[in-house]
Amino acid sequence: MPKIEVYEDALYKYIGKKIVGDEFVKLLSVAKAEFDGREGDVLKIELNDTNRPDLWSTAGLGRQLRIYLGGEKKEYQFFSAKGSAKECGNRVIEVDPELKNSRPYITGFAVKGKGVDEALLKDIIQTQEKLCWNYGQKRKSIAMGIYRSDLFKYPVKYTAANPDKESFVPLGFDKKLTLREVIKQHPKGHEFGAIISGLDKYPYITDSDGKALSLTPVINSNDIGAVVEGDKELFVEMTGTDIYSLMLATSIVACDFYDAGYEILPVKTIYPYDTPLGREITAPFYFQQPVKADISYVNKLLGENFKVNEAISYGTKMGCKIEGDGNNLVLYPAEYRNDFLHPVDIVEDIMIGKGLTTFEPIMTDDFTMGKLSDATIFGRKVKNIMIGLGFQEMVYNYLGSSKDFIEKMNIKGDDVVKILNPMSENFEFLRPSVIPSLLNSESVSGNAVYPHKIFEAGKIAVKDSKENYGTITINSLGFLSADKDAGFTLVNSQLSAIMFYISAAYTLAEVEDPRFIKGRCAQIILKGKSVGIVGEINPLVLESWGIGVPCAACEINLDLILDLKGE
Amino acid sequence: MDYDIKTLHPLEIKLLLNAEEENISAENLVGKLAFKPGQYNQAFSWLSAKKLIEEKEKTQRLIYEITDIGRDYQKNNTPAEKIFNLVKDKDGALTLSEVSETLSLENKDTGAAFGQMSKEGIMALNEEKKVVTKSKEVSPLMKAVRTLLDKGAAAGEVEESTLTADEKQAISGISKKRGGGSAPFRIVEREDVVYRMTPEGKQVKKQLKEQGVSGNEIGSLTPEMLADGSWKNATFRSYNVNTPPSRVLLGRLSPYSEFLDGVKDKLVSLGFEEFDGPLVETEFWNSDALFMPQFHSARDIHDVYYVEDPRKAKDIQQPYLDQVAESHKNGWKTGSRGWGYSFDKEFTKRLILRSQGTVLSAKTLPNAKIPGKYFGIARCFRYDKVDATHLSDFYQTEGIVLGEDVNFKTLLGLLKMFAEEVAGATEVMYVPGYFPFTEPSVEIHIKHPVLGWFELGGSGIFRPEVTEPLGVHVPVIAWGLGIDRMALMSLGLNDLRDLFTSNIENVRLRRSK
Repeated sequence: MPKIEVYEDALYKYIGKKIVGDEFVKLLSVAKAEFDGREGDVLKIELNDTNRPDLWSTAGLGRQLRIYLGGEKKEYQFFSAKGSAKECGNRVIEVDPELKNSRPYITGFAVKGKGVDEALLKDIIQTQEKLCWNYGQKRKSIAMGIYRSDLFKYPVKYTAANPDKESFVPLGFDKKLTLREVIKQHPKGHEFGAIISGLDKYPYITDSDGKALSLTPVINSNDIGAVVEGDKELFVEMTGTDIYSLMLATSIVACDFYDAGYEILPVKTIYPYDTPLGREITAPFYFQQPVKADISYVNKLLGENFKVNEAISYGTKMGCKIEGDGNNLVLYPAEYRNDFLHPVDIVEDIMIGKGLTTFEPIMTDDFTMGKLSDATIFGRKVKNIMIGLGFQEMVYNYLGSSKDFIEKMNIKGDDVVKILNPMSENFEFLRPSVIPSLLNSESVSGNAVYPHKIFEAGKIAVKDSKENYGTITINSLGFLSADKDAGFTLVNSQLSAIMFYISAAYTLAEVEDPRFIKGRCAQIILKGKSVGIVGEINPLVLESWGIGVPCAACEINLDLILDLKGE
Repeated sequence: MDYDIKTLHPLEIKLLLNAEEENISAENLVGKLAFKPGQYNQAFSWLSAKKLIEEKEKTQRLIYEITDIGRDYQKNNTPAEKIFNLVKDKDGALTLSEVSETLSLENKDTGAAFGQMSKEGIMALNEEKKVVTKSKEVSPLMKAVRTLLDKGAAAGEVEESTLTADEKQAISGISKKRGGGSAPFRIVEREDVVYRMTPEGKQVKKQLKEQGVSGNEIGSLTPEMLADGSWKNATFRSYNVNTPPSRVLLGRLSPYSEFLDGVKDKLVSLGFEEFDGPLVETEFWNSDALFMPQFHSARDIHDVYYVEDPRKAKDIQQPYLDQVAESHKNGWKTGSRGWGYSFDKEFTKRLILRSQGTVLSAKTLPNAKIPGKYFGIARCFRYDKVDATHLSDFYQTEGIVLGEDVNFKTLLGLLKMFAEEVAGATEVMYVPGYFPFTEPSVEIHIKHPVLGWFELGGSGIFRPEVTEPLGVHVPVIAWGLGIDRMALMSLGLNDLRDLFTSNIENVRLRRSK
């Protein structure tokens, strides 16, 4: 969830008044925003709604709060729509047909006004980062560039370029690099190069004379693409893979500039291939569709009895125009919003617009029967027996290393579930047994008074090709005794007591298991099926764990016993 | 005020009862008490610590303990005696080295003994360098040594104060302070302490007599005493009930699981039925069924753990797969426009470690009762760096409520109930929340009597894009509670990692508040 930093004064200016303290925190909740502290005159704010990227800037957040408080709702006249494109003069982007299958979409608009100051520049860069990172899948689906439009000539060309033939000076560098070199040498190339490095040709933006604007989505050029304080004429461009989110992001940035006092000049993109919005699109472009909700649906969901007009008055506080049509509410999403997928989304705007705290909590009178799962009930029964046997219950983490789960256990580990993308080798495997967890306890508890008797009734998982998921999760009981005379005789008696009290008539069958001493290890057989293992831990295993006391352990598949008992 | 005589050991009682008020020493008590050696000193040191007796005088004594060599000399003669006896028979026949050879003595020992005797004038060398005697009698020194050896062998030691002047001179040549066995005697300094009773000691003695305490009271009652009835004539020693008890190692639940069990029981009492499921899940149930678009930022490779082998589930249950896929694409019959992208039916089969308990809510929907309330405390896995506030696996408490009359207000009522019943909140505050799978969504912040304000949980009404494709046509509340902070508080901890510690002693000593 994005966190932004805003200049306090700038935000108040957008809101239209100064609001502080608890009142400010409460007001922020309207935008699902949380106050995260301040540093000097900079406020830190976390935005929780990932479907409202319009709120991730000072202007956008200020706009929502202003409208909610009944302040001015600006008219954005510069939007084109289907069948009504705004005049764009020579401001055109031409698209190379070869981009169709790589990074097919580009939008743009120009900005004109007073020279940009430090605060605005910071805000623009922050908006770009948040939009492209959080909403644009880390630039994969949206990347944005800003340029000094007085330094280049339209039409802008969006091309698929040979990475070894084309070259330019990337931002912050002082010499020309080929596109491939940019990816290899520029810090942004390391960060974002992977998005395009697999392509034969790289998406590359130039002006009509071939002067570089940027290697999108990686880095701008060092001249046209280096915006500085005082610049008055800018060109904003976005490229990406999903035309709707790209168009929304474009609208958001355009509205932000407009709210900051700039004139927005539309730019037309001409595609040599079809797009969901046509072959010629003038941006900013209003593409959203109205959404309808029946008033009875709204009332059922909110537990209220609003009239159409009431609902409209609440809903419009969130910034979108709503009209009544008989029993229907028709909502026209604001230019900078596209989070209305379903009538239920109108319901939430009405709820927040009215004020969440104005709704009265009521208890449902539906009767339902509470119930623990069979596994929990059986688990508790077993845990009680373990306590009677003098065991201390432990609760362990389920992720661990191959060292702990496989190597120290002296097993091959073929059936251990491995994580493809571990964060660290310490958390790379799902535990296949409770026993390594218990032995790990022993390895760190040499100072605890002996004897040690510990157990856990928890989950384990192993590969199982018969299962749909290729793995099976098992509720498993593992217990271990560590003491100078802990051996098979002891653990065998403990097992016998447990099985007696859960009424499971079992037999033992000697088995070889590398975790246990040969000849002192047995499978626990119930109704012909192996439900567990019991034995004296192999000194080789104890040595690997650095344990200096004999250990005897047992592990039982509780799910299987419960199943077999039920038969 | 009476002294608490239960704090006295039987040895102390017997000593106090039998000792004079002055001049208390082991010597004076032998015969009166059947103590074993060492028990006197034990009793003296305990009573001194309790200030019931005190030192009256201390005397230093010098003692000569006989060593193994001394005992050998006493039995088999000293080198000088051996030489004297030999030469007496073979006067003038042997050289010094022949003497050594005959007696199996070291040359230096022979030399030393001869030197001494020659000095005393009882032995000499003739012109032929043969040993000759000058006297029929051994020297006074040799006599004194013999007396010392005989006394020492009989008593184990000789006391300096009992020695004659000759003997004193003699012992100085045959004793050493340290280095044990290299001389016939070892010099030991001994301290004799004589105690006397303090006024308090006298008072205690009086008290013991008055109460008829003898120190012979019975300690443990034995089966034999019960069998032969001897307990009937015996008195039982009173124990000091304030003696620190010894530690018992007992079997018990982990206080963390006890806490979780408490939450489970609470939810069951509120009408919730428990659900559970596997640790390994599919993208389908973990995210797709919850209407999180496959391109959602929280579905990145750095947010979920993928299973290496196998990579994918064999299949996803129909008709849910198709219905969910269509909902993502164009909203299917849910009234939604959908996310407008083409759903990847292979990606959805990918196996992951479940990252949220909501998986179980989604999987419960197709077979859920209406009305129905469900909950689960599910182990979930997150791609997080492990620290005091983040774990790679941890418990989430989540659930659902289904019903024809479920609405936003009953959702608030449910949260209020959790706040009061589960968390013991004194105040609640609701704020709009955001979850990809619910609309509207609410977060509940509570004021806890100890923790103050914190976010207890999140909740919302499942989007129709979640419920309809899974065959549920009534509103469903989805809720989740963050109970970790309450667990830490209840166990007096402040690091999440401690909840899952491997350290046995830490868990043994941990208590819930």
